[in-house]
Amino acid sequence: MTRWVMVTVIIGIYLVANLVIGLMAGRRSSKSVTGFVAADRNFGLLIMYFVTGATIFSSFAFLGAPGWAYSRGAAAFYILAYGVLGMVPLYWMGPRIAALGRRLGHVTQAQLISGRFPSRTLSALIAAVSVAAFIPYITLQIEGAGIVINSVTDGHIPLWLGGLLAYGIVVIYVLVSGVSAVGWTNTFQGVFMVVIAWALGIYLPFHLYGGIGPMFERIAQARPELLIPPGLTSTGTHWGWGAFSSYILISVVGFLMWPHLFMKAYTAKDDDTLRRTVILFPTFQFFLIPILLIGFSGVLFPQAPADPDSILPFLILRTQLPSLVVGLFCAGALAASMSTGDALLHASASILVEDGIAPFARMSDRARRRLMRWLVLVTGAVAYWLAQTNTSSLVQLLASAYGIIAQLAPAVFAALYWRRATTAGVLSGLVAGMLTTELFRLYPAFAPFGIHEGILGLIVQIPVLVAVSLLTRPQRQEHLDAFFPAGSAQTR
Amino acid sequence: MRLRTARALAGAYLILFLIGTTWPGVLVASRIHPFVLGLPFSFFWYAAWIAFSLPVLYLLDRVERRYRDQRDGGQDR
Repeated sequence: MTRWVMVTVIIGIYLVANLVIGLMAGRRSSKSVTGFVAADRNFGLLIMYFVTGATIFSSFAFLGAPGWAYSRGAAAFYILAYGVLGMVPLYWMGPRIAALGRRLGHVTQAQLISGRFPSRTLSALIAAVSVAAFIPYITLQIEGAGIVINSVTDGHIPLWLGGLLAYGIVVIYVLVSGVSAVGWTNTFQGVFMVVIAWALGIYLPFHLYGGIGPMFERIAQARPELLIPPGLTSTGTHWGWGAFSSYILISVVGFLMWPHLFMKAYTAKDDDTLRRTVILFPTFQFFLIPILLIGFSGVLFPQAPADPDSILPFLILRTQLPSLVVGLFCAGALAASMSTGDALLHASASILVEDGIAPFARMSDRARRRLMRWLVLVTGAVAYWLAQTNTSSLVQLLASAYGIIAQLAPAVFAALYWRRATTAGVLSGLVAGMLTTELFRLYPAFAPFGIHEGILGLIVQIPVLVAVSLLTRPQRQEHLDAFFPAGSAQTR
Repeated sequence: MRLRTARALAGAYLILFLIGTTWPGVLVASRIHPFVLGLPFSFFWYAAWIAFSLPVLYLLDRVERRYRDQRDGGQDR
């Protein structure tokens, strides 16, 4: 059997396994919005661990991150730095968010913010921003799946078909089972990702250089600039400290604000599960170390791929690995893409209905759930269509998404911890922060020291939020009591 | 250990983590030699911050949990 046929068979088995797990998963959850969006608030530790880990690491982990290490060297260390720091606030925030969710019926982030700061404009604004950030993100996941399948089958499966196969399956299981499918498939996919990453990250340096130490010795002689932070830019010039540091900072702030991750706080069975998920997260974060080793192992490889992002499939196809391993690698990379794509798809449909439509139209629980399913299909189709068209501008869009998403952080913190914050303050702060971020994204030359536009947005947003809140009338005591139950003051 | 102390120590670790991995803190680790565990020093530095966060968070959780148990058997369940 030729290699590409063998590889295709393995991918086929893998995809069918995903479909079966995804469809089985939804059978136990209730037929309500809470069942579809928050899995009846019933995820245990094992699922929470893999849901958070596998959702966070997307096809960027298998394609983009090795590509950074390969072409930009130490610049890729920024990817190592922010995960743990970004995750830790959930240890304290998570149980607060979950308790409010149980009491007030929240299943999305915007419901928390606009519950504390009643404003339909605010709710719709958050929904619009989230979905605008999600669509390019999903598109990139679909493209990633297409690229991986296409390259390991030596081009026998075209890009459009690879993306369609992988995401057709994702749409079906999300449509049928909602977040329960996301949970169970991500557990399966998460195991795949971690095992494949470690196996390849250790195998490739040993196979090509005789070990990890010898590999870096040789890089240190030939390309020392790659091993010294802040590394290089994509064009090979030296990257600045301002950009390197502010990329880490904005990623720390923005990390939990990604709605598809934030909303998982509502799915945990109890507070201990949520807290342990945070405590264990560094073990998942470790998975980036072999990923970067893979990228570094390509540095002194005699040939170079056309695009740094395809360094991993490029190396795999040129190092005489058995077809079984190539097939498994492909499954691992698909796992990374699909485990993020499904969460994004599910979250965008949920947010569009719960925050964009439901506040303006009275709808039954059943109607909302049915509409969410339609929107899973529509969002998937739009992203798939975008993936087939020219997408260079999408990468640009996604790069700015972190800056925009991070602007939600002050609103979330104010909702949870600051009694004196007002609706007017949060709304005007959010708008000011977003406009600033967008302005510096369009005119990056004006950003001092190359600082990330999202940080500049926060620098503008926070004083506006505080000042406008203090100038407007405080919220009524009865309203605040729902959000700050007696005794909560001492925990924060 | 008291809860307040545990939170302060964990918080201090996380702040040092942030300072140590961004400018100017990272300047002390912005070098190739010495190699540690086969990794250039700069790479090892980033890996080590992640690795040490595991015991730090574990110990924090132990103190937090003991405090919650004492408080009245998990009021925030």
